[in-house]
Amino acid sequence: MLEVQNLSIEYTTEDGVLKAVDDVSFNLQRGESLGIVGESGCGKTTVAKALLRLLPENGAISGGRVLFHGENLVGKSPDHMRRIRHSKIALVSQSAMNSLNPVYTVGHQIREGILAHSNIGRHAAHARCVEVFGMVGLEEKRLSSYPHQLSGGMKQRAIIAMALSLEPDIIVADEPTTALDVVVQGRILQRIRAIQRQISTSMIFITHDISVVSEICERIIVMYGGKIMEQADSASFFRAPYHPYSLGLQNAFPSITDITGEELVSIPGTPPNLMQEQPGCRFQERCPFATSQCRSRTPPLVKVKSNHHAACWYTDQVNDFRTRARNRDTWEAVRTRIEQQETPQQ
Amino acid sequence: MLAYIVKRLLIMIVMLLLVATMIFLMFRTMPGDPTASMVDPSIPREARQALLERYGLHESLWTQYRIFMRDLVQLDFGNSYFYNRTVLRVIGDRLPATLILMLTAMLFAYTFGILWGAWMAWNRGSRLESVGVTFSLIFRSAPTFWVGLMAIMLFSVTLGWFPAQGMRTTGYVGDSFAEVFLNRDFVRHLILPAFVAGLYFLATPLLIMRNSMLEVMSEDYIEMARAKGLRDRSVLYKHAARNALLPVVTAGALFIGAAIGGQVLIEVVFSWPGLGREIVQAVTRSDYPLAQGIFIIISALVMFMNLVADILYAFLDPRIAYR
Repeated sequence: MLEVQNLSIEYTTEDGVLKAVDDVSFNLQRGESLGIVGESGCGKTTVAKALLRLLPENGAISGGRVLFHGENLVGKSPDHMRRIRHSKIALVSQSAMNSLNPVYTVGHQIREGILAHSNIGRHAAHARCVEVFGMVGLEEKRLSSYPHQLSGGMKQRAIIAMALSLEPDIIVADEPTTALDVVVQGRILQRIRAIQRQISTSMIFITHDISVVSEICERIIVMYGGKIMEQADSASFFRAPYHPYSLGLQNAFPSITDITGEELVSIPGTPPNLMQEQPGCRFQERCPFATSQCRSRTPPLVKVKSNHHAACWYTDQVNDFRTRARNRDTWEAVRTRIEQQETPQQ
Repeated sequence: MLAYIVKRLLIMIVMLLLVATMIFLMFRTMPGDPTASMVDPSIPREARQALLERYGLHESLWTQYRIFMRDLVQLDFGNSYFYNRTVLRVIGDRLPATLILMLTAMLFAYTFGILWGAWMAWNRGSRLESVGVTFSLIFRSAPTFWVGLMAIMLFSVTLGWFPAQGMRTTGYVGDSFAEVFLNRDFVRHLILPAFVAGLYFLATPLLIMRNSMLEVMSEDYIEMARAKGLRDRSVLYKHAARNALLPVVTAGALFIGAAIGGQVLIEVVFSWPGLGREIVQAVTRSDYPLAQGIFIIISALVMFMNLVADILYAFLDPRIAYR
């Protein structure tokens, strides 16, 4: 249904051009839920915004295609895009706290979205609001509340209700639960999952929290430095990831299922500066297994099993990598290496 | 809300009494005395003394103050020395002319300022934005009397579109309010001074609106409104401008309060028989009651409009609740 082909996105800044997303391809089937994970600045939000063509003014799609039902959205007129937004591809945005306009009631804002895309009349629109509010578990009377009268969790649910109101083909959820506390977050995730199954809409779930993806997504894409590092079925990925970055991520997040008291190991270093040309693998600087080949040539995304791809030159050595990645010292060595590289320059 | 308004009104009364005291003292400490402008300085001492006694100016400062305050709480501002009529009547004669001029100018400035300011923020970096900023700042910085004179030269003398001065054609006499203000002759006289004053006021709403819009436009709910597939116009005016309006409302409400004083320069250049000119004359003539009266009424209006702005806020922004 949605096919993203070789998408590249650039931001023009005062210091030069920042290549935020580089050659990203994936597709999304009807009813499927896809998680895109990565740390801040890896380009995941940029991808989401590009799908809706809501990039900031200095951002532009520099290459690739976004095929939605076979139609390329890149290059469509603003008015055409406007009609696709919300009704076909809806956004659940990053900060629920601030995504509702403080001077209008929640009901008004949902109704407004409905009326912008259909001419069903205020009455029917209101009925639809009541319906979607029911789906997310909010009382009807909350429709006449102003955003400041709702709790964080309620606001987030209202925004989800808003996204559902026109039964879009795709819901793009950009860190929808980051601002919420863990308990509320869990409950909302369950609800999103249930609704998504119920109305069989597709979903792209963008998050930095890999454990969220394990809970609700069927497929996962791991992004780093504007490129896809690994793409796989969730089950396959969480059983056995291939890319060294994914191995590092697994260490950095506590597993929900087994609490063994293991200490978390973080990946040393910082993401690459995307203003500079990156000749090799984006992750090589922080990768414990990097070689000279990694530094000079960008690894392509290769198939490692059915429905599982990784962008690493050494996918054949993954068993060895997995054992070593569990060891804290492996990552400490990277820290030392990075520190040594930085010192002589000073 | 009601309790809040009552509380604010009570505070206002106390403030006004303090302001009245300050105004009273201010005029008494000013050099010169009122007799100098009322009678020839060469008249005998006794005659002057009689005059002072007639107006009660020979009394001690304290007694004068007590009488002033006692009359004030009964809303009695006394008689103007110069006109020999009650102060309220003099103000009543001048106020409508000033208010009509100022409100017209304000309507012009705020309508254009708000719409254009919002549009400018939306099209940030465009040619029309810099034109707008420059244009409004030129008329803000240029002396209004000069702009007024230039406007008279262009529109009255060269083009002959509008009369150069006054409020009505000489010889016209009207008795009722309607006869004086509600006719074409008056409107023709009003346009030019209102336009010049409006140009001067334009920068405030325009720039406040623009800045406030720029701030609001980076808010998440604006992106959300876009993601909802609303039309640009809808996002701009319904979501962004509505939120950006709050600071402009404050500026506007305070402006009405200050507008009662009029724009002295405009009134002088266009020979507009308004309150602004009256204030200046009352002060130079040491016409204590008239000057005091006008200043107190202006203060009261500024305070009152402040309260109106705060109440308006509660209607514009549901997050604000007064207790």
